[in-house]
Formats: sequence, structure tokens, C-alpha cells
Amino acid sequence: MREQAFRFGRADHMVGIAGLPAASTQAVGVIVLNAGLVHRIGPFRLHVELTRRLNACGYPTLRFDLSTVGDSGASGESQTRTQQVCADVRDAVTLLSRQSGCTQVVLFGLCSGAQNAHTVACTDASVVGAIFLDGYAYRTFGYRLRHYLPRLFDAGRWWRTLAYRRNPSTPRSTEPVFSVVALPQEVVRADFASMLDRGLKLCFIYSGGISNYFNHARQFRECFGRVIARPGVSTRFIAEADHTYVLTGDRNRLLDNIEHWLSDNFPVANAGASP
Amino acid sequence: MTMLATPLEAELPLYFGAGGELFGLYQSAGTPARKAVLLCPPLGQEQIRCHRLYRQLAHALAAEGIPVLRFDYYGCGDSAGASAQVDWQRCLADARDAADELRQRSKTDRVIAFGARLGGSIALTAAAAARFSELVVWDPVLDGNAYVARLDAMQNALRRDPQRFCKPRLASDAADQWLGFAISKSLRQQLVELRCEPTTVPTWVMDSLAPTTTREWQSLGIDASRVNVLQPPTPWDDLGRLELAILSHALIQAVTAQLREVA
Repeated sequence: MREQAFRFGRADHMVGIAGLPAASTQAVGVIVLNAGLVHRIGPFRLHVELTRRLNACGYPTLRFDLSTVGDSGASGESQTRTQQVCADVRDAVTLLSRQSGCTQVVLFGLCSGAQNAHTVACTDASVVGAIFLDGYAYRTFGYRLRHYLPRLFDAGRWWRTLAYRRNPSTPRSTEPVFSVVALPQEVVRADFASMLDRGLKLCFIYSGGISNYFNHARQFRECFGRVIARPGVSTRFIAEADHTYVLTGDRNRLLDNIEHWLSDNFPVANAGASP
Repeated sequence: MTMLATPLEAELPLYFGAGGELFGLYQSAGTPARKAVLLCPPLGQEQIRCHRLYRQLAHALAAEGIPVLRFDYYGCGDSAGASAQVDWQRCLADARDAADELRQRSKTDRVIAFGARLGGSIALTAAAAARFSELVVWDPVLDGNAYVARLDAMQNALRRDPQRFCKPRLASDAADQWLGFAISKSLRQQLVELRCEPTTVPTWVMDSLAPTTTREWQSLGIDASRVNVLQPPTPWDDLGRLELAILSHALIQAVTAQLREVA
């Protein structure tokens, strides 16, 4: 395995690290998108550990910073954020293709990275699969039942609520919160159906760290309906883990899941072979 | 802010050092330089939190005509090695190699080091071997034992944080790690034994520690005139901000002004 650093893109404005397997393979490439504003190494270096593990399995990878994130600058174009993300990923595919020979890619994204992967996967013909970590999800009736019913019979919680109302001493955060409005549920559901119709393989891995809107494996079906039961879809809910996999054991289990999903859906002909 | 006559050259991402194991980003100043600055990063999550600030600082210094090299130690960032392989002595050697790389690229022998937290401690400890001409350190860790105790306490609090986990995690789940990064027993011991000694290299301290924190700058032989107190204090140890970037316009201004004045 070897890693190379690149400045690349239509304005030569992005920075990325390509990881290439020791032996030439016919494997799909894996492109790793930024998680929020964390630069390309990912939360707690998750993206470095992921790409190196996949390189050892025979997959070429590219972890890079989207325009204006991490070490990448602006492209200088007048584009919507969606247009820019699609153009950035297209540049990334071109780079990885040039370095490794791969013509098809799987996208990986956590949180806003999953949303960006979704955006690109909707239209980019080179994308054959996507791994969504804590991507789109919606509070469902089932979510509310699972969330509120246990609380209804929790005397301690009632006591704390009443005590707080009598003495609301705990200051609430006054810091500004910036977030991206999620796409409507029906749009996302239709997008997934369209991706599957095009033959994409989709992997959804959600964590207990988003328990404010997702709290059970059943919620995949509740959110997205029958599309989630189609053959190209894999789902996993890791209740004990947090949103960014801060514990090394959780992170290793996540990487195991991703490696297995990739090897099942995009096997490498000579996986792990030495030069 | 300095107005630029010409746009800065883009930073060059590169691998350097023995075996090309170290990742760096070199920012040329575009003109012949009399001094260059090496930005020594902190370790662990503090490195990720400071990434944006280091980039902003590199650009600000380059705008002053000073070439800059940012880099990752072995086992950190984009450099080779696993997180559990981070080693204190290797960090010191990497800082020395990075200084040599910067000398070669900038064509100036005079390298000033900047470092935040453990990056400051590394700059202080490696000063002689890396032939740093001056140092600017930001809240450097001088007492490794106290720092280790604080990281242990934060790690213990993290596994029980209801904002992060649905259920508290076992102590064994969180063992041998600090705030998202695996650590070796040898690194723990090296940090326990860390005690920064006075250096003969001219040093300035950027102090943004909380008011209640004990200062030990005098133990470095640094008098008050070389300590620049910044406001507001930097929330290094706030678990609720563990994944929020540390940004400080005041720090960038102060460091840039200091290095501009260094003859």
C-alpha cells in the first residue's frame, strides 16, 4: 500500500490523499467525503483507518477535502453548493481513475458526508455504491412510541422535569446552531428507489448517537418503506456507538462491517495479493 | 490585515522524511525569505481541533512573506503509522526532520517553531536538536503528569456522557485511549515523565489558559514581558466542545505580529 498527496481539481484547489493497493486490481475505488467540517482524516482519524484498511484489501481510495473545507480552497466558480459538491466529486473520481485505473466508485460519507454522497449518487454515472453513516432519517410514529412510552412510566424523569420547571437553573446554550435542512422524506425515498433501479448497492449504518431522531433498526423501513427491503440494500443499526465512533472498539467494528459489505458486493479478484 | 500585491501560491501537499512517511503542506512566500516558520501540531484530538487555525496562521504568515511548513507526526493526521504508534521520541525526531525539510524548501537556515499544547512542548524539547532560532508556544504542556491525569479524567467522563452514548460504556471499552485515539503504554509513560526544561532559545508564550489554571512559565526561564495573555480563554478541556474547532483571531494576530517583529 502506498499513499500519495495531491493538489487537484478544475481549479487545482483541492487537497487529497490517494491510497493505492500494493498490487494492481480491478476493484472499484472508494471515495471518502468530509464529515462536517473535519478535514479529510475524519473524526478521530476514522477516514485514515478506513482507507488504509481498504487499500490492504485491494481497493484504491481517495480521501479529500471538498471546496472550502479542510485544506481545500474555493474553486472561484459561481455554483450552488450541490453543483459544487458534484463537480468536486467528479474531479476526485477523475484523479483516482487516473492513479488506479478504476472507472467505478463507491462513496462513503458520515452525517453531512452521507448527504453529499446521496446528492452525488443521484446523478453520477460512475457511482456504483454508497455507504451512508447516519445519513437521512426521519422521526416516525414508531420512533415516537419507542422514545416517549418508556418515559411516560419513568418516575425519575417526571420528578426531574417537575423539579426543572420549579427551578430552571440550568442555562440553555445560546450558541448559534447551523444546520442543513434535510430533503423531504418522499424525495429521499424516491432517490433511493432510483439509485437501486440504476443498479447501485446501498449500505446504511446508523448509530445510537442520533437517538434524537433514530432509535431502532425497524426505523429504516419506517422511514423509507419497501425500498429498504430490496436486494441491493444493507442496513445496520449500532445502538451502543456514538455518532463519530469515538471508542476504538466501536470504530474497529464499524470498519469490519464496511469491509465485509464491500467484499460481499464489490469483491476484489486478487484481494490482499502482494506485488 | 495585510493586503497582498499578488495572490499567495497554493500550498503544496507532500510526503517527506525517511521513507516519505511524514505528510506536510508547504506554503511558499513567493519571495526570498530571511526566516521560515515550522508549525508543530498538538497530538490527538487537539490536533484536529486546531487544524483550521493552523491553516489560517500559515496563510497569515505567508502573507507577511514568511514561508511555512505544517506537518503531521508519525501516527498522526495523514502521516504513516497507526495512532497507537505515536511515540514521543519519534515526534521530536519528526520535528527535526520537518525543520530540515523547511530549510531545504525555503532556502533559509533560520527556522522559527510555533506549537500549541503538546506541539509547544515538542518545540521546546526539540529546540536544540532541530536548531530552532526562536519559539512561539501557545499554552504548552509543561507538566506531563498533570496533563495525563486530566486526559484520564476526561476519558472517564466521556464514556458516561449521556449526550454521546445512549447507555454508559464500560471502563474496558474506553481503556488505553484518550478522546478518540488509541495510546500505547510507552506514550503514556513518556508523557507522565514529560517536564519541559528551560531553553536557551528565545521563547514567547501565548497564554490563553483558564484563569484558575496554574501558570509555570517562569520554570521555562521566561519573564512576564515574553508572555502574551490572550482573551477569551481557550476551552481545551471542555468535553462538550470535544469536536468543535478551536479558532482564535487574537492568537493569529498576536503570533503574526510577534514573528513580524523578530528581526
